[in-house]
Amino acid sequence: MGKTTVSINLAHSFARAGVKTLLVDADPQGSVGLSLTRQSRLLTGFYDYLADPGISLDRLIVPTRLETFSLVASGQGSDYEAGGGGMGAHLARVRAFIRSVSARGFDLCIIDTAAGLFGVTGDVIASSDAILIPQQAEPLGIRSVPKLLEGLNRLRVMNPRLSVLGVCLTMVQHDLAESTEAAAALRQLLPQEMVFQTQIPRDGLFVRASARGLPIGVLEDGAGAQVVFDSLRAEIEAKLEPNSGHRAARG
Amino acid sequence: MDSINPWLDPVEVRRLADRLMKPNRDPAAPLADAGFGEGFVGYADAPLSQPAAPPPLPPQMVPAPAPPANTPPPQAASPTTARGPFLDRISRFRDWMRHNFSATGVFILDREGAVIFDESHHGRLHFLARSLALASRRPGASAGNVHVKIGADATLEVIPVETAYGSLVLGAVVPEALDPAAVLAVMEALALVAAPPGEDLKSPT
Repeated sequence: MGKTTVSINLAHSFARAGVKTLLVDADPQGSVGLSLTRQSRLLTGFYDYLADPGISLDRLIVPTRLETFSLVASGQGSDYEAGGGGMGAHLARVRAFIRSVSARGFDLCIIDTAAGLFGVTGDVIASSDAILIPQQAEPLGIRSVPKLLEGLNRLRVMNPRLSVLGVCLTMVQHDLAESTEAAAALRQLLPQEMVFQTQIPRDGLFVRASARGLPIGVLEDGAGAQVVFDSLRAEIEAKLEPNSGHRAARG
Repeated sequence: MDSINPWLDPVEVRRLADRLMKPNRDPAAPLADAGFGEGFVGYADAPLSQPAAPPPLPPQMVPAPAPPANTPPPQAASPTTARGPFLDRISRFRDWMRHNFSATGVFILDREGAVIFDESHHGRLHFLARSLALASRRPGASAGNVHVKIGADATLEVIPVETAYGSLVLGAVVPEALDPAAVLAVMEALALVAAPPGEDLKSPT
């Protein structure tokens, strides 16, 4: 939970820091596009690229007012992908996409996927250099962590390059005991280096930002919240530092 | 933490997490185009040497009598050449798979990935099966079987089998992953089926 919020605002943070960033909406629900682009449903997007080898990356890229920040919408082909599709069915095409992104000169490609580890999401993870796991701070979500770890271990068999950046706690409510307890429990369960120090609070600002189709840092009073994502970016940069080559992370 | 801890095995969670955080063995290695996904159940890690109770082979799967000396061995490179007795034996094998394991789709690839036999009608599964079979190879060891969930009630079981004609890859769509005893039975059955007529093979039963 909180994937799209993390993806959008993290991508924006990297772009503000001068990193040429491409944010890709690989969620069939198209949440990134719906958040940032009113016409997203009309745009040719990621799923159209997967379905049609004749579509080039250039046709998909939507520039923003920030020169270093570009988007790829989910696309119209996403409607029939909602069921997940077969594993490996789009693997070659996903990898071609990531190669094109790298060749196009992007420093970072953040792919916001659908929940789960199956279908296109599995193919994206099997093609990426790194994965960031947003995890809502609530008991039910934490209980599902073992299954997630198991699935990721299996995917890592096929993609040994996959680096697990870690789990980022989201929707943390400091005034709710269950939420803070869940966050504490996760930190206790997992190795320290696997849980980001930065955690994303539940904040009405996020709702306002998405209502206006903006990253939170663009809001007049969004500077405080932007600091949170800048902090998360710093942690990620420290982890990505040893790696070289193109970087693709699933948010 | 009562809302969480009773639901989890902290030791197991830590073990899984530690495995994930281990440095990559070979970060520079190119990505293999293997078709894994969420349903990738993992490599079968149970030893295959001591099967519990493999299902019996049907009597009709006993090797055919020796043909005349000048009979060419069955060709196993393409569907068009898989004819005659070989195809009959494969068909019986398919029936046996259906009967014993409720297999709804069976296909066999040769070591080059060419289709020898296919009743699954799912070309995409060929690629997946071959990728899984390749990925399951361990240095200095023969390939093991792999299973991957491909639907709510469907698992693709991929079983590499050494036969008289070299390595074959059997793909079978079954309701659930086969246990080691069943895998061994299938391997023996396919090796038997693929053996040239007259070759002295013992029935696994």
